Amino acid sequence: MTLPTFILKNAVRNKRRATLSVLSVAVSLFLLVMLQVALRELTNPIDDEGSSLRIIVRSKVSLAQPLPARQLQTLERIPGVAAVSPFSFFGGLYKGDEKFTSFAQFAIDPQRAQPLIADAKVPPEQLEAWKADRTSCIVGKLTADRYGMKIGDRLQFTGQFYPCDLDLRVAGIYHGTADDRNVMFHQKYLDELLGNPGVVGTWWVRAASIAEAPQVTDRINQAFANTSAEVRAESERAFVLGFVSMWANIKTLISGISIVVVFALILVTVSTMSMAIRERFRELAILKAIGFRRRDLFVLILAESFGLAMLGALVGAGGAWVLFHNININQLTNGLFLVFEVTPQMMGLAFAVAASLGLLAAALPMINVARTSVVQGLKTLD
Amino acid sequence: MAAPDNIVTIRNLSKIYLQGEINVTALDNISLDIAAGEFLALLGPSGSGISTVLHIIAGIDRPTSGECHVQGIDVARLNESQLADWRNQNVGFVFQTFNLIPVLTAFENVELPLLLTRLTRRARRRQVETALELVGLADRAKHLPKQLSGGQEQRVAIARALVTDPALVVADEPTGNLDSHSAQEVLGVLRALSQDAGKTVIMVTHDPKAAAFGSRQIHLEKGELTK
Repeated sequence: MTLPTFILKNAVRNKRRATLSVLSVAVSLFLLVMLQVALRELTNPIDDEGSSLRIIVRSKVSLAQPLPARQLQTLERIPGVAAVSPFSFFGGLYKGDEKFTSFAQFAIDPQRAQPLIADAKVPPEQLEAWKADRTSCIVGKLTADRYGMKIGDRLQFTGQFYPCDLDLRVAGIYHGTADDRNVMFHQKYLDELLGNPGVVGTWWVRAASIAEAPQVTDRINQAFANTSAEVRAESERAFVLGFVSMWANIKTLISGISIVVVFALILVTVSTMSMAIRERFRELAILKAIGFRRRDLFVLILAESFGLAMLGALVGAGGAWVLFHNININQLTNGLFLVFEVTPQMMGLAFAVAASLGLLAAALPMINVARTSVVQGLKTLD
Repeated sequence: MAAPDNIVTIRNLSKIYLQGEINVTALDNISLDIAAGEFLALLGPSGSGISTVLHIIAGIDRPTSGECHVQGIDVARLNESQLADWRNQNVGFVFQTFNLIPVLTAFENVELPLLLTRLTRRARRRQVETALELVGLADRAKHLPKQLSGGQEQRVAIARALVTDPALVVADEPTGNLDSHSAQEVLGVLRALSQDAGKTVIMVTHDPKAAAFGSRQIHLEKGELTK
C-alpha cells in the first residue's frame, strides 16, 4: 500500500456519499459552464474583420424611427465610405411559426450590398438569380437546413412591424457568415409593398479600411448633424453591443445564478467533507498516535477533498465540453443560439472553482484536526 | 536522569487538568521506574490517572510538572513533529477499541506506521508478515477488520503496534472489549512480547485478572501510587 492508495481507499469508503459528492460538484459546474456559455453567446458578438469594417447607421431618435432614403447620396459621398445599402429589419413571422420566428429578414439592395456581404458564400448563378428577381431572397444555410428550404421554394412572412406581408422565392442559399440564419431580400420589393414611402430602416455602410472606420463613423454623424433626420452611426460590433446592453438584467440574472450555484456548491461540499472527516476523527487520532504528523494528516484530508472536487470538475465541466461540442445547439434552442462554445477560459474557471472548493472543504476539517490533541481525539473513541 | 536499566524514569510527575474553572489533579507528584523488558500492569479504577500516566509515557500528553524520561529522552521537551517521529519509531499503541481502519485489510492496517518510514515496499512487506506471524494471523492478512473476530482484530492491532519494532508497547485496556477467551489470547501475546521478544509492555487495566499477566503491578488511586 502507498499513501495515494490509502487516500483513495478513504475517499471511496462510503461509495454512495463519494458518488453524490462528485455528482453535486459535477452538476453544479456543468450548470456554471452552461450559464457562462449562454452569457457569452448572448453578450459577446462575433468580432471578425468584416464586422469591424461594417457600420450601422440608424436614427438618432430611435432604432424604430426610419431614415429618409435620400440620405443615400450624402452617405456615398463621405470620404472612406466604400459601400452603402439600405438595411431594413422586417421582423416577420414565417408561415408555420405561430409566435416566434428565430431568424431575421433584412431588406437590402443586392447590388450595393455585395461588398457588405462579401463573406457570404453563394454560388454565382444563385446570386445573379437573386439580383435579377426583386421578389426573391437568399437564405442562410442554417435556416434552410432547419426548415428544409430549397431553391425555388416560396416563403411567406406576416409583417409584425410593417403593414404588409412578404411572399419571397428562394433564389439562393448562402453560408460562411458569422450568422447563417438570416433571409436577405430586396428593399425595392418592400418599398413597393409599402407604396414607396421613401424611407429605410437603417443604413449598412462598409468603410474602406479598418483604420479609417472610426473616422468614417464620425463623418457620418457630422454629415447629418442638425438635419431633420439626425443619425447615429456605429460599428456593427458596437451596434450589437448596444442591443446587448438592453440585456443588462439578464446578464445580472445569469451572473447572480452563477454565484448562487457556486455558493450552494461550496455549502454542500464543505458540509459533506466535514461530515466525512468528523466521522473519522477517531481514526485521525490513531494516525496521529502512531506517528502521522499534522502535515501528513493535512495532506490526507486535502488530497481527498481536492481529488473529489477535481473529479467533479472533470465530470461536470468535461461533460459540458463534450456535450456542447457534439449537439446541434441551433436546432435544440430553436435558433436562439448559433453556437455554444465552451472556451478554455470557462474550463479554467470551472477547474479553479473546483480547486478552491477542494481547499475550502478541507479547511474546516484541517483546522479541527490541528486543534485537537491526540488525547482529545482518543477520548472520542469510547 | 534515567538509570541505565530503566527504559522509563518518572520523577515528581503531576498532571492537572482545567475543567471549566476547576483544576482537577489527575496525577499527583508520582515517581516510577520501569525496567526494559518489563510487562507492567497499571491497575486502578476509572479516574485514578492510570491512562494519563500511559499517555505521558507514550508522548501523546504532556505533564504539568515533573519529568518523564523514556530511553533517556525527556519526551515533554520534544515539539509536535519530533514527538510524532519519536512515537512512530519508539512506541507501539494498542487500544481498547482496536481502531483498525475498516477499509484496509489486516496487512494494510499493520503496514500503516511503515508508510512514514523510508523502507522499500519489499522491506515493509517482510516486516508486516513477521508482525502478523508473531500474533498468529499470517493467514488473515487479506481479511478486512469486519471479517475478523474481536480477538483477531486486537491481535492485528498488536501487530500494528509491533511492526516498527518499538522498544515500548503501550496498551490501554486491551481486553476491555473482548470475551474471556479472546482476552486470554491477547494477554498471552503481550506477555510473550515481553518475555520472548524483550519488549517493554505497559498495560492499563481495571481488571485484576488481566493485571496478573504482568510481571509487576502498580496501583494508582486518585492520582497517587498506592503500592
